[in-house]
Amino acid sequence: MRKFLFFIPFVLFIALAAFLFSGLFSDPRQHGSALVSKTLPAFELPDLMAPTTLYNAEKLKGKVYLLNVWGLWCPTCNAELGFLTELRKQGIDIVGLYYVQPQDSAFGESFDLTKLQQDVVKKLQEQGDPYRLNILDEKRSLIFDLGVTGAPETFLIDAKGQIRAHHVGDINPQNWPALGAQYQALLEEAAEHKPTAEAATTAGAAYAN
Amino acid sequence: MMPEIGQLSLIFAFALSVLLALVPVYGSYSGNVRALLLAKPLAIGQFLFSAIAMACLMYAFYHSDFTVINVASNSSSMLPWYFQLTASFGSHEGSMLLWVTILTFWTALVAVFSKSLPLLMQGRILAVLGFICVGFIAFSLFMSNPFERSLPFFPVEGRDLNPLLQDFGMIVHPPLLYVGYVGFAVSFAFAIAALWGGKFDSTWARWARPWTLAAWLFLTLGIMLGSWWAYNELGWGGWWFWDPVENASFMPWLVGTALLHSLAVTEKRGTFKSWTVLLAIAAFSLSLMGAFLVRSGVLVSVHSFASDPSRGLYLLAFLLLVVGGSLFLYALRMNAVRSQARYQLFSREVLLWGNNVFLLTATLVVFLGTLYPLFHKELGLGSISIGEPFFNQLFYYLVIPFSLLLGLGPWVRWKQQQLPPLLKPLTLVALLALTIAIGYLAATQSLAANLALLGCLLGAWVGMSAIGEVYQRAQQLGGFSSGISRLQASHWGMTFAHIGFAVLVIGVAMTKTLSVEKDVRMKIGDTVELNGYHFTLTDVYALNGPNYGGQAAELEVYSEGEKVTHLHAEKRFYPLQKTVMTEAAVHARLSRDLYVALGEELSGPSWAMRVYVKPFVRWIWLGGVLMAFGALLALLDKRYRSSTVKVREKTAEIAGVEHA
Amino acid sequence: MLTKFQSKLQKLQWLKTLLLSLVLLTPFTTSAAEELMQFKDAQQQALYRELTAELRCPKCQNQNIADSNAVVAVDMREKTYQLVQQGQNKEQVIDFMKQRYGDFVHYQPPVQWSTIWLWLAPLLLVAGLFFVMLQKQRKAQSDAGEQGAGKIMAADQELEQQLQALINQAMLNQTNQTSQTNQTKHQSAREPD
Repeated sequence: MRKFLFFIPFVLFIALAAFLFSGLFSDPRQHGSALVSKTLPAFELPDLMAPTTLYNAEKLKGKVYLLNVWGLWCPTCNAELGFLTELRKQGIDIVGLYYVQPQDSAFGESFDLTKLQQDVVKKLQEQGDPYRLNILDEKRSLIFDLGVTGAPETFLIDAKGQIRAHHVGDINPQNWPALGAQYQALLEEAAEHKPTAEAATTAGAAYAN
Repeated sequence: MMPEIGQLSLIFAFALSVLLALVPVYGSYSGNVRALLLAKPLAIGQFLFSAIAMACLMYAFYHSDFTVINVASNSSSMLPWYFQLTASFGSHEGSMLLWVTILTFWTALVAVFSKSLPLLMQGRILAVLGFICVGFIAFSLFMSNPFERSLPFFPVEGRDLNPLLQDFGMIVHPPLLYVGYVGFAVSFAFAIAALWGGKFDSTWARWARPWTLAAWLFLTLGIMLGSWWAYNELGWGGWWFWDPVENASFMPWLVGTALLHSLAVTEKRGTFKSWTVLLAIAAFSLSLMGAFLVRSGVLVSVHSFASDPSRGLYLLAFLLLVVGGSLFLYALRMNAVRSQARYQLFSREVLLWGNNVFLLTATLVVFLGTLYPLFHKELGLGSISIGEPFFNQLFYYLVIPFSLLLGLGPWVRWKQQQLPPLLKPLTLVALLALTIAIGYLAATQSLAANLALLGCLLGAWVGMSAIGEVYQRAQQLGGFSSGISRLQASHWGMTFAHIGFAVLVIGVAMTKTLSVEKDVRMKIGDTVELNGYHFTLTDVYALNGPNYGGQAAELEVYSEGEKVTHLHAEKRFYPLQKTVMTEAAVHARLSRDLYVALGEELSGPSWAMRVYVKPFVRWIWLGGVLMAFGALLALLDKRYRSSTVKVREKTAEIAGVEHA
Repeated sequence: MLTKFQSKLQKLQWLKTLLLSLVLLTPFTTSAAEELMQFKDAQQQALYRELTAELRCPKCQNQNIADSNAVVAVDMREKTYQLVQQGQNKEQVIDFMKQRYGDFVHYQPPVQWSTIWLWLAPLLLVAGLFFVMLQKQRKAQSDAGEQGAGKIMAADQELEQQLQALINQAMLNQTNQTSQTNQTKHQSAREPD
């Protein structure tokens, strides 16, 4: 018994070393997301290119898609555009959420939508356009509700409007397979559920009639 | 040319360290006296070559030799010369070489000053230190070479030193901290040598004590300077942030403090033996773990060096070898050792054990607070953060019993203490402490600040008891005036260190509860009032430094119609590093600091300003300095300077006394 | 006595305000600076300070949102300010942030089964170490009672061993002197044996 007691420090240290070892191979900057498995928060935001068109969570429902937070000011986002465009060609549905950085009004900076639209069009012509549509979040309200800490960040959203994955950092050929597999699985899930969902709506319609 | 000389010296130092780790081991097993005697010149040689390497690196920095990658990425030709010199340990590579230099310096010191030790013991201690040197010199040489060149293509201008490090505090803070950190390697080596030999008598503790004291002294000063530097440089008036890197230096300090007290018990009473050895191993292990945490990128911190997983892996392997190995040896050897404990429940032994319990619990709190988020995440339980609210909460609870014990400790005798003789003086002390604490707070009319009261009370209790105890001891030594001169230096050391702790506690409690701050927008000519001080902004103008630009603000401070001081705050912009730095304006007095930080320019033109009045914040660092001064006094005690003969005489004398 | 003292101080306080107002009126005509953030009362201001000090900037290395100028920290400060002005209490604001950024965002970990060790482990350590002490002390007491004489013998033996060690080392030093001829002078000068 007494002999055993003297081994306690050694055993504790070995356990600590195991944690430190596994800590070496995980990124301390990745700290999960509180949004996964919640529904997309409510919002009402304009289209970047046609500000009179308004989107909300309800309108985007019914399809599996990636919600990609990006901005022209962010170099990693620009680097990511090429690969995302390739994904679009493969049939992946990507919705852009444009991140506007705060303007310093003290120094006469103000938000200029026309200029931004021109810059975005130019950029997307150069690098490729992965987006089905782009939502403009000038006040970063949806961005805040999504717990976004910077750009780029990407959310995988299922047909019911539920967030299924939250990816921080760029999407590249190395990390896409995992996310892609999840995307495919959701597509299949949606395909399974669709007939029943349609049946439900027709039933509802029948009742209404 | 110079970097190559440095490189070569480091290689020589490496070779010598390998010899130092091997030759005395051979000597100790074969009984070869010459092999044992070789340890000393090897240790000294190793230090000389490391020092040459460090000097060469400094030379390269001083002459802005941008062909050296380390210089190019951490210095610039516009940097003032003194910062060019200190930039040599501003990076991971450079600081590792500084670490190595200091480690070999301690080793050389041990070699020179251990004449009174048995030769076998000397050899073993130096071999252990040599082994640690091998690990770190190899790390510096093979994994993070500070002399690496980028020839044939090299930049014409360097990327400049991180502006955070361009401060006087940074010139002295890292060397002092490292001297402390690495110094625990010596007590560690003593402990391992003792485990190796399997002999544990109180002499081991006597030899290890001054070295531990010296390391602790420097660690205390290093931490205090770091805190002072953060206060001045980070611009939000904080002096401790519970950042993983700070915690990494705080843990060895806590265990080192426990070790100092435990060593006293082992030396004086021959008990707590296995405990003391464990603490000696733990103090250095925590230093090593700190180095790992800072340099591996396992934790996110404001201060950590750029990380590289292969470096982390090397350090972890070394940690496993040194710490795992020594703990294993400890488990094998120590369970056979039993100390003869003969003491009552109310005795100094038990009170010092209490001191150790709380210091170790404090270490555990810091340890968990630093590493638990990692455990939690690696176990797949999600990310959590642990910061100031948690640490503050637990330290409030820890400091209360700790301070109460601390006030009592010095009065109580070894073996056994009767309560009645202590009642009268201690009641007096408690009453005095109450009067001082309540009196002060009544005078400042903030009785509501219960926490400040509690802190004041604890501080006053510890401080008064320390003073009272000296008075009583002096009386016992034949009257106050003559007795006081007969008190030993180590006794004075203890008293000063304890008063230092009291001062620190008062400083922390008062600053935490009574600080006030205001965030304001100021135009030139505006005045802001805070705690009776009127700060008027008189001017703001462009700055033009050697390697920075920015703005400076001038303020006049008035209190009750009289001018208190003139303050000068800066907001610097370093173009090479594209960093903005706040140079706060501080007007320091014992009772309070006035602190102004210049923020960004707003429309108007006006400026965002943060203004603080921080009562007693100086006491925090004053307390630290007093503790370090106490350690210095204790180090000067005569018994640590006695040579072999004197030690022998003294032991005989003690033996005689005990026999009679 | 205390009340008397306090009332005296209060009188002084009155004098102080008078002096202050005199100062403010006379020499320099300055305007008071306005606070960057306006609050309804001091409690809301204190709450805002507390919250910005305890909420962690999720993007930064290791900083609270009060000390960081990252965009997300600025947005979080702004949101905190709005929520505090709306009269939400500390818990509500922290919950609001946690829903978006997770437990990570608060510097105080939540109390749940996976984190309870943060408080339990220190408590157990204190209790455990004191228990060890009591056990040890009790055992030593009974040992001393049974074989007091034996104990003294053991102590004597230890002293004997120490003396022997010292003698050994002195002898080793002697051998040093003879083997290291170049050191002989130094050593004999320092140690008049």
